[in-house]
Amino acid sequence: MTNMHSPLHHIEVPASVAAAGVVMREDKYRGHLNLRGNPQDEAFTSAVAKTLGVALPTTPNSSAENGTTRVYWLCPNEWLLLVAEGTQGQVEADLRAALADQHIAITDLSSGQTLVNLSGANIDELMLKSAVYDCHPSNFPVSKVVQTTFAKTGAVIYKCADGSFDLVIRRSFSDYFFLWVADASEEYGLQVV
Amino acid sequence: MLHIYCPYCEEMREEEEFSYSGEAHIARPTDPESLTDAQWGDYVFFRTNPRGLHHEMWNHAAGCRRYFNATRNTQTYEIHETYKMGEQPTVTGGKP
Amino acid sequence: MSSNQNNRLETGGRIDRSKPLTFTWNGKQFQGYQGDTLASAMLANDIKVVGRSFKYSRPRGIFGHGAEEANALMQLGVGKETIPNPRATQIELFNGLTATATNGWPNADFDLMEWVGKIGGKMMPPGFYYKTFMWPEKMWMTYEKFIRKAAGYGKASLEADPDTYDKMNRHCDVMVVGSGPAGLAAALEAGRAGKRVILADEQNEFGGTLLASKQTINGQPASEWAEAAAAELAAMDNVLCLTRTTVFGYYDQNFLGALERRTDHDGMTAKSGTRQRIHRIRAHQVVLASGAIERPLVFANNDLPGVMLSGSVATYVNRFGVVPGNRCVVMTTNDSGYQTALDITAAGRTVVAIVDTRHNPAGRLVDAARAAGITVKAGHAIIEAKGSKQVTDALVAPIDATGENLTGPATSMSCDLIAVAGGWSPVVHLSCHTGSRPQWSDEVAAFVPGPTIQHQHLAGAINGEYTTAGALNTGAQMGAKAAGSEAASTYDCGDESVCPAQAMYLVPHTKPVSRAPKQFVDFQNDVTAAGIELANREGFESIEHVKRYTAMGFGTDQGKTGNINGMAITAKNLGKTIAETGTTIFRPAYTPVTFGAIGGRDIGELLDPSRHTAMHPWHLDNGALFENVGQWKRPWYYPQAGESMQQTLNRECMAVRNSVGILDASTLGKIDIQGKDAREFLNRVYTNAFSKLAVGKCRYGLMLKEDGMVFDDGVTACLGENHFLMTTTSGGAAGVMAWLEMWSQTEWPELEVYFTSVTDHWATCSFSGPNARKVLEKLCDDVDLSSDAFKFMDWREGTVADIKARIFRISFTGELAFEVNVPANQGLYMWQKIMAAGEEFGITPYGTESMHVLRAEKGYIIVGQDTDGSVTPQDCGMHWVVGKNKEFSFLGKRSFSRPDTSREDRKHLVGLKPIDPTAVIPEGSQIVADPNQPIPMDMLGHVTSSYWSECLGHGIAMGTVISGQHKMGETVYCPLADGRVLAAEICSPVFYDPKGERHHD
Repeated sequence: MTNMHSPLHHIEVPASVAAAGVVMREDKYRGHLNLRGNPQDEAFTSAVAKTLGVALPTTPNSSAENGTTRVYWLCPNEWLLLVAEGTQGQVEADLRAALADQHIAITDLSSGQTLVNLSGANIDELMLKSAVYDCHPSNFPVSKVVQTTFAKTGAVIYKCADGSFDLVIRRSFSDYFFLWVADASEEYGLQVV
Repeated sequence: MLHIYCPYCEEMREEEEFSYSGEAHIARPTDPESLTDAQWGDYVFFRTNPRGLHHEMWNHAAGCRRYFNATRNTQTYEIHETYKMGEQPTVTGGKP
Repeated sequence: MSSNQNNRLETGGRIDRSKPLTFTWNGKQFQGYQGDTLASAMLANDIKVVGRSFKYSRPRGIFGHGAEEANALMQLGVGKETIPNPRATQIELFNGLTATATNGWPNADFDLMEWVGKIGGKMMPPGFYYKTFMWPEKMWMTYEKFIRKAAGYGKASLEADPDTYDKMNRHCDVMVVGSGPAGLAAALEAGRAGKRVILADEQNEFGGTLLASKQTINGQPASEWAEAAAAELAAMDNVLCLTRTTVFGYYDQNFLGALERRTDHDGMTAKSGTRQRIHRIRAHQVVLASGAIERPLVFANNDLPGVMLSGSVATYVNRFGVVPGNRCVVMTTNDSGYQTALDITAAGRTVVAIVDTRHNPAGRLVDAARAAGITVKAGHAIIEAKGSKQVTDALVAPIDATGENLTGPATSMSCDLIAVAGGWSPVVHLSCHTGSRPQWSDEVAAFVPGPTIQHQHLAGAINGEYTTAGALNTGAQMGAKAAGSEAASTYDCGDESVCPAQAMYLVPHTKPVSRAPKQFVDFQNDVTAAGIELANREGFESIEHVKRYTAMGFGTDQGKTGNINGMAITAKNLGKTIAETGTTIFRPAYTPVTFGAIGGRDIGELLDPSRHTAMHPWHLDNGALFENVGQWKRPWYYPQAGESMQQTLNRECMAVRNSVGILDASTLGKIDIQGKDAREFLNRVYTNAFSKLAVGKCRYGLMLKEDGMVFDDGVTACLGENHFLMTTTSGGAAGVMAWLEMWSQTEWPELEVYFTSVTDHWATCSFSGPNARKVLEKLCDDVDLSSDAFKFMDWREGTVADIKARIFRISFTGELAFEVNVPANQGLYMWQKIMAAGEEFGITPYGTESMHVLRAEKGYIIVGQDTDGSVTPQDCGMHWVVGKNKEFSFLGKRSFSRPDTSREDRKHLVGLKPIDPTAVIPEGSQIVADPNQPIPMDMLGHVTSSYWSECLGHGIAMGTVISGQHKMGETVYCPLADGRVLAAEICSPVFYDPKGERHHD
């Protein structure tokens, strides 16, 4: 798809950094759909669960996953759906069909934000420098998701099973985000894969 | 730096995530046209500025983006409670 | 090099004599050892005078051993590395260290200013600054030069700081401040309980006073116990040990700031990594174990080099193996002076006498001193120190039991060191930072932390618990309490019994205070007992006023040693108790914090985020200069080789007027609105009606605050019956989103509508000009682009360059224009395709500056430039966008009929045509009716927008003018700062194509 340029497509970092303590990987072109609806309405939750194959998480700061679909709780009536690249149009159409006549909103944000994975031996230090939120395992277990600040921008931060963090960041802030991560990682070494 | 409990995210968050949104429980008049200029002016311009307990509106701007209310002591900065939109405060210092 | 450290002991102390270090003080080389502070190394080399005092230029020496030091401020290093004002007592010695005195020229030992200082007392009484500021301004200029040069603070480098600084956000269950016996015991309890603990101490190793103690803890030497405790804590994964870290601020809800000096002990600049790091700590529970600071006593010439705090002398002896004198007189009001005397004796130096103000001292330490053969002069006081550059004698006189009156003649004792033990002041500073006021304790004879709403616990000397076992045990109890458990350890340090102390502050002299030699209270600001007395006599009674009038406690030491004495003297002068007089409270920072650390990494490009559009790489490649719009970097204009800015603008604007130009409009805020009540919601927040806007149509709207003033504008498109896309100004997007959410969530939750920001999702290519349609026709064949089928203010979904796009026919230039919106991942590609398609028409990229010119030629406002929050739609002449028959009283409507909003003589936004066709009136110029009116002139308003219009061949402007809409054709004047006066005719703001035919084409 030559006509596509992800938010961080232009980042160029020397291919191999010896013993990089921080590793950054952009999970390009995932489908990002924002879903709004009433979680107290069983017609809504069951239709969504049926369509997505995964129940909507209703506990604050939690997530649910099924294969390539991941669902983040954002607020009591708002979720972020992360779906496989290129499927967002179909998922939106399926949801609209399943939720016809309900008070809902579905908005495609696939180009407005991107998913970035941060990992490495010094990921904890990077998070201490960047996030005011307490990312310690005792407060941030695997699969928890938190909307908060990251340096001077915002991020939706998710803790992966391998201890790394997936961040959803806004496209327009992505250059700032990268500059910050590069700067904060300087003492540990940064590798972009 | 305040530490604020978001009643929607159900946990404590740092002040950086929030923005202050003024005095709470200011209802918009249902029929503005029927008000005198003084009554309308009171709604638009005048706010209390108490020393002590104050009910105020906050927005979890960098979090869930919900508005909620807090009962805060403007002297000690102690936050006695936060509560969802539509709910009433339980800490009122004896005032109704 | 002088390597004879005459005052260094052969053995003992926590220094490494096998690692000599060389340092330079005021140009001369000296030697110290690894483990020294600069102060201990200077004392080892018998350096007496380290600076000159602030006001009187008196010689001053090292006085303390830590944060309380008021005199030994250094200018550390040279050039870009230099650091002004660190205390020698807190600088760890490293090889090659260079320091000079911060004051006193030509040097600290020989100071010309001393002669000025001797008359300076008369010239600069207390309240000098206050009075000077009140009096003739021009005299201040004279005083200021004199004071700045003479007064004592160091100089910052004017070069860029070569170091990096950063911050980390920390969270813990238990934060322990201070690692003396109380802090260590607290951290051990909380750490062993499995809590997340942070222990911070300003020194290079944990232990505090234990490091210089000869006591035992549960039978183990104190320093060994401290080492073992530190090692145990370091081995715990749940404990973060921060040495060389000063907790400088304690803020609301247990938020603390701590400065970690990571490399300062190893050189002036970091060899790699971060020099200093601020830890921003959020703690569930805080244990303050910050200890106590010894008080000096206020007697005549108590500032002479060689007068030191007793506990500091003991610390130098025991921790650094340095005895700062050969013949010492100890002056004490309590037992701690005895321990110092014993330590000096044990080090083989002479204690001439212990001068004890108490009449009947007795007990463990007193007996030990007498047994060691030390003379004890009970019921006596040192009333004056003698000497010029250093102490040579102490004048000792008998006093009565109240401590206020002399009872006999003074005798002289020859000495080179006076160790003063005036009692202890708990370090209440941090506890004050959250607004808690210290309380006087008669039992402790000091201020202790007062009540607080923080989850805070006090352990050890901060609460007046001065025995080691007491500190350890309260530390253990508070550490356990903070951890929600019971203390598991108890500590025994043997017999620590003491004889009761005497509360004493000002020592009487044979002369009254006003005539006695200077009796210093605040060394850093040269505040004397006589100065405080004068202030009290002049009517300053509130301790806060005394502080501000005398400048007591204003220095970088924050009055750590002087404040209590000053308050006691004030109380005595006013006939009150200290409790009645009260105390001032301390504010952050406890000790100074470098600006580098405060800035952290939020500097340069990281100071504020720059937001970029999907097409940003193209703008960079094509030479755009950028303008900041909010956080966005928008192309400002695209200069070509050899062009002036005006030439560029002329070229860009004429391309739009004559052929086609293209603008990156992606930064406009975009909000996706869905729900069956979306229309009703829009009706309520916009001035005009959206009830009948059909799918496929767009409408311009104005948004007001409830006061009736314009705060945003934009075009809203109807995407579906219950689905809209709102656009906002680039800078106002976040504010509008919050505004909509606020009304939806708080006031009208019954309306079924959802808002989602899609600003970043869509990239917008806006191209306009007579050839715009021809460009689009080359890229799009599934939409009928004809004027009849696709009208102005319509939108269509179509395929542009094989990409699914939303095409809006809206115009901010007055020309035929299309905005093609595609998902931002395809924005760069779309831009390139349009550029290629437009090449044959000379398609010209233009930036925000040309956009401003083009819209001003059409009289379109820019919210925030032509409006400022005090402008109604009517003031802008935009009555046409205000719905007259809307059912709901939309936001701001009611304010239209307020008397102030409805009056006819408000400022109106109008066009201004310069009479001189070549003139461009500077934006911001004031507008007057009569340029010959004497100053101050009556202002009619000001120019909000002004440009050269190439297509019209003259300058154009917009501005606000009182009653402007009723003054069409009248001439007004703009007097400029350079003396010129530009005349302009009030006119319609629509200068170009007033009938609006071109954009409908």
